[in-house]
Formats: sequence, C-alpha cells, structure tokens
Amino acid sequence: MKTPEPRPGAAQQSSSPGDERAVHGIWSGTISFSLVAIPVQLVKAVEPGRVSFRLLHDKDYSPLVRRMFCPREGALVPPEEIIRGFEIGPGKYLAVTDEELESVSPERSRTIEIVDFIDLEEVAPVYFDHPYYLIPAKGGEKAYGLLAEVMSRTSKAGLAKFVLHEREYPVLLKSTAGALALITLHYHDEILGAEDILPPEAEVDEEEKRRIKTSIKNLLADFDPRKYADARRQRIIDLLKKKAKEQGEVEAPAVAEEGGEGPADLIAALEESMRRVKQQ
Amino acid sequence: MSRKLVEIAGKRLSLANLEKDLYPSFGFTKAQILKYYRRMAPFILPHLKDRALTCKRYPEGVAGDFFFEKRCPGHRPGWVKTAGVRQDDGELRTVCLVNDLETLIWVGNLASLELHVPLARAATPETPDFLVFDLDPGEPADILDCARVALILRDLLNNLRLTGYVKTSGQKGLHVYVPLNRPETTFEDTKTFSRAAAAIMEKNYPDLVTAKMAREPRQGRVFINWSQNDGAKTMICVYSLRAREKPYVSCPLAWGELEELAGQGDPQRLHFLSAEAVSRAEKQGDLFREVLVKQQKLPHLS
Repeated sequence: MKTPEPRPGAAQQSSSPGDERAVHGIWSGTISFSLVAIPVQLVKAVEPGRVSFRLLHDKDYSPLVRRMFCPREGALVPPEEIIRGFEIGPGKYLAVTDEELESVSPERSRTIEIVDFIDLEEVAPVYFDHPYYLIPAKGGEKAYGLLAEVMSRTSKAGLAKFVLHEREYPVLLKSTAGALALITLHYHDEILGAEDILPPEAEVDEEEKRRIKTSIKNLLADFDPRKYADARRQRIIDLLKKKAKEQGEVEAPAVAEEGGEGPADLIAALEESMRRVKQQ
Repeated sequence: MSRKLVEIAGKRLSLANLEKDLYPSFGFTKAQILKYYRRMAPFILPHLKDRALTCKRYPEGVAGDFFFEKRCPGHRPGWVKTAGVRQDDGELRTVCLVNDLETLIWVGNLASLELHVPLARAATPETPDFLVFDLDPGEPADILDCARVALILRDLLNNLRLTGYVKTSGQKGLHVYVPLNRPETTFEDTKTFSRAAAAIMEKNYPDLVTAKMAREPRQGRVFINWSQNDGAKTMICVYSLRAREKPYVSCPLAWGELEELAGQGDPQRLHFLSAEAVSRAEKQGDLFREVLVKQQKLPHLS
C-alpha cells in the first residue's frame, strides 16, 4: 500500500477559523517556464507543534519583554543606538548598516522560474530544507493541474530560484497527491561532506551480510507517519490540562494588550519609544 | 443643459452646467470647482498619478445624493489613461489614472468633488508607498484632540527614526502619513506596524485614544484607524475638496504649524477652505512632497 500523501488544505482546515494567516498566502506570484505562466499562492505545509510558553514575572505574572543591555554602561540601549557588527577578531568588528545589507539582498520577485526539470530521486534528502504548498490562484487552476499531473506521472521535479524574506533559495517543485509542493533546498556549500564519517573498508563476512538482509526483510513495512506522535508534547498538554483543572488560570495585571499583537521586538521598540515620548 | 467647449493641452473637453452651484449653502459653482482643481493641479497631480481613482460624485451638489465610482466610465475620452485592476473575484476592472491636467478637469466635470486613491500604485497593487494613521474623533472629541494624538505619534515615530507628515482629512480628523517608498513593503507590514503603534497609543493614553472600531469606546476619544492600511481601502487625496456644507480641503500642515494652531485652542483654525488651501500651497509649496519620495523602512518587523 502506498502511504497517503499529505495534501494542501488539510492542515489549513485544522487550524483555528479565526486565523487569517492560515488562509492567506505567504507569497503570491507566478510559476513560469518556457511559455507557461501559472498564478499561485504559497502557503505553509507544516506547523510545528511546539507548546510555547511566555516568560512572566513570578510575583504578579506580568508578561516580560526583552530589552538590549549594555554591560559596559550598565544601561538599556534604545533600538536606534543598536548597529550590527561582524566579529573579525577578539573585540574587533566591522560595522555593517541595514542599507549595506540591503544592497546585497536579492530583489523581491513575483516569479518562480523553473530552469530545469530533474528526476526527483536525484535529490538527496539532506538537501531538503523547508516545505510549502503552492495553491492555484484564479485562472491558473487548469495549467496547475496539468503541471502537477505530468510531473507526478514522469517522476520529475522542477528546479527554480525563489526569493522569500530577503533571501534567495534554490527550490524544488514537486507533485504531491495532485497538488504542487515547494521545498526550499540547502545550498551545496551548506551540506557537510560525508567523506569523514564513512567507516574504513573492511572484509565482508558473507554470513553476516545474509543475516542483516534477513533482518531487514522481516521488518519491512509501509511508512505510516500517523504511527508517530510527539510524546513529550502530549505529556505537556496533559500536564497543562491537569493544572488548569486543579488551580485554575492565573490572571496577569491588566495591561491593555488587545490588538497589540505583533512581533515582540516591535512591541518592545514601541514601548521604549513611548517611554521616551513621555519623558520629554 | 449649458455646455462650454475648452481645450487643454490640445485635448477638447465639453464642460457641462458650469453655473450650477454644488455647495448651495456656501455658494461654490462647478466653474469654481474646476478652477480650484486647475490651480491646485501642480500640487495634487503628483499624488494622484498612477493610482486607481475612486470618485465620489455629487451630480446634484453636496446636499444631494452621491455615488462612488471606481470603474472608469465607458464614455471617457480616448486620451484618459486607464489601468486594469484585478478584483477579488478575479475580474479585471478598468480604472482612471489622473496623470494630467486634462484628466483632472474631465473628472471634475463629472461632479467628482472628492478624489480618493489607494495607498499603492495601480501597477504595484500589493506595495503600499506609505503607511497611514487615520485619526477620527468621536464626539465630543474634536480635531484638537486629533492634533494632540498626531503630535504624540510624530514623537513616537521620530524615536524609531521615522518621519511622518500630517494633513487634515477635510472633515473632522487628521491623517498622518509615513512615507516608505520601498518595493518590498507589504500591506501586512504596514498593518502590523500601525496596529501595534495604535495599541501602544491606546495603552498609554486610554482617555484620549482608542484603537477599537466599536462605537462605544470611540465616544470622546480619537479612534486611530490602522485598518486603512489595506490594498482594498482608499484615502482622500491630499488637496482634494470634501463634500461638506463648505468647500473644505484635505490640507497638509507643517508639524510646527499644527503645534501652534493646536496651542491656540480654536478647532476652526484647523479647517481649511479652498481659497486658503490654494494660497497656502502657492506660498509654501507641496508640504506633502516627501510622502512621495522619502524612503523609510519600518523597523522590527521580522
């Protein structure tokens, strides 16, 4: 039996209905190769199941924020006094500005241009970095379906370059259960060579070789990812349920936090800026 | 119906009902409206350029019915520049681009008193060129309260090394614009930033500010409407007339001026009529010029 492949949409449906980001794409644009152009949206394929905790002040459960601290001055450093430095030796730095970094960042792009089609088996799993799904946008459904079908039938995958969040990645486009998946790949330079870890050549004992073959054969099975669950996560959730029943929740002092969601660094920078506005 | 033929930049235009008073309780005819837009053209055109126009048309004047028109009328002259804008349902809508004086006058001739434009250009609909804070006072709060909020926002932004620019809405409130002009900005960025900033303002000035859309908390407070930072929303263009009892204008101000006028405590000083808006612009130049060119990056978004 073949393992049922995951499909885009399944994960999205299971997330909470109020979460707009689950439905909206992370990126939208066009897949293109030769004369074909397919409008698509990029969506998440995985949602790490980590239980996350917030850090609180123990005496009254106030949520804490991170600030930058200068040990030499013994004082907090406001965001506009923070720059980036590359360490070239002990205590020696090259200062690099946002503008300089930006000048070497790739231009944001609206296309995924497939430059090669390759055999899927050729790509060693060690190259796979992060998976996403592509879903067809209005008007692209037909060409999308065709590309997915042909790639699936021929076991081919498309190779492309893709810019996301100011970085350019080599990516692999493959068919999965009638849909298209996009997997960002590691650069060749990032892959650690396997030469050093290979065991030295040794004499092969035919008897032993046969025993290993038999053992493997006895354990042959289909890959069923549903068999594996994150046991620690489940135990944490059970623990939280038990505590919620026993002690109830603990309320933090009122901080008008509603609508204030946003990256923690942004909130901290705004808080700091506001603190200085009020001092003026 | 009376008609008058005019020629602008070699383009012929037939202007209708020029004597019609569209602001009857004040007295401001269509001829005066067209004259206003003609004199304001050097200032308003750069802000309309390449953006999908939404007209708010008042064929019977400000006291009559109005309608919004987003689609560029089919009876337009051949020289009116247009763009196709993809709708949510996938349909392509043809919109007018007011890129020259002749189009501005043609649009005005349709009794389009109010000119609204999106935060992104038609060719790059997902890239806002600026972030806006739409400050809307809930009675009994007024434009002076908006001025207080705008001045705090200015300082909040300055501490993050961002420069904002302020204009009156031409109605009751103020608009603070933060120019970005960077191709990688998304509406998600501007929404995240403006929502977080509005929440911080609300948290620190709970009696003055609300970031909530609901009616009740807006009473007596200034509502910071951050949700305008959206590809589907439009803002009244700077220098556009408003359809009120008098021809008020969405008028830019220097921060020092706002500080001074707010200090005088007379809300009326913060409402500018067409004639005053013209003389201000001709004397001071376009106080909103930087909004179109200044490049700034919103910090701490990733």
